[in-house]
Amino acid sequence: MTIDQAQLDQLKQTLQADDYRLDVDVQGDQADVAIVAGPDACEECLVPKPLMQSMLAPVLGVQPESIRLTYPADKG
Amino acid sequence: MFDSIVDPTVGAPGDDRGRTSLATRPARLSGLRLGLLVNTKRNAADFLEELSALLESEYGVTTVLTRTKPSIVHPAPPEMLEEFRGETDVVVVGVGDCGSCSASAVADGLQLEAAGIPAAVICSDAFRVSADAMADLQGTPGYEYVTTAHPVASLSREGVRERAVQALPQIVGMLTRSSAAVAS
Repeated sequence: MTIDQAQLDQLKQTLQADDYRLDVDVQGDQADVAIVAGPDACEECLVPKPLMQSMLAPVLGVQPESIRLTYPADKG
Repeated sequence: MFDSIVDPTVGAPGDDRGRTSLATRPARLSGLRLGLLVNTKRNAADFLEELSALLESEYGVTTVLTRTKPSIVHPAPPEMLEEFRGETDVVVVGVGDCGSCSASAVADGLQLEAAGIPAAVICSDAFRVSADAMADLQGTPGYEYVTTAHPVASLSREGVRERAVQALPQIVGMLTRSSAAVAS
C-alpha cells in the first residue's frame, strides 16, 4: 500500500473547490475516507460514491471496495 | 440524499463499456445546426449563450436546440439525447464547474459521441480530476474537453463573455477537426 501524495493533494484541491474536506485514514489494505462539508458546500456537487471510490483507489493504493467512504449526509 | 442520486457511472455509452468511438467531424461549421446542452450551474446558460452567439456570427451555425438538464448530477436523459440526435449536427455541453457536474458533462459528451453527434464539453480546470475519472470509468481515458478557469459561477456577464471568447478556438477545433478528440 502506497499513497500517492501528489495525487491525493490534487484530489483534495478538487474537493476544496466545492468547499469539501477530505479526511483519509489508511490501515493496511483498508481505507476510511470521510468527506466533510464546509459552510459553502453544494450538496449535489459531490460525485456519486462509486466514482469517488474509483478516484480514490489508485491514489490510496487500495481496492475501491476496500474504501469505507462517508459522505456528509451519512452522518445524518 | 447522496445515496439517492442516480449514478451516472452506470450505463456507459460505449459498446460493452469499451472505448467510445467519437463521431465524425465536419470539415467546417458553416450551415450546421448547433445544440446547447446546459446544466443548472450558475452562469452555465450564459456561457453557452455567449458561445452560441459567437459561433453564429463568426462560423455560420444556427442554434436550433437548447436543453437544460434536470440536475447537475445526472447525465442528460435519453429523450433529451434523442432530441439532439434528431435536430442537431454538433452540440456544446457545459459548464462542468463542480465535481459532479464536470463528471456528468463528460458522460454527456460521450453519450453524444456514441450517438454520432460531435460534442465539445466545457469544464472548469479545478475539476479535471472528476472529469477525467468519468472518462476513465466510461472506458475512454484521454477524452478531451475544453477547460476554463475556475470559478465560472461568480463571473459577471462580461466575465462570462470573455471566457467564451477565450474558449471559442478550442470549441471550434474540437467540433471540426477530423482526428478523433481523444488523446492517444
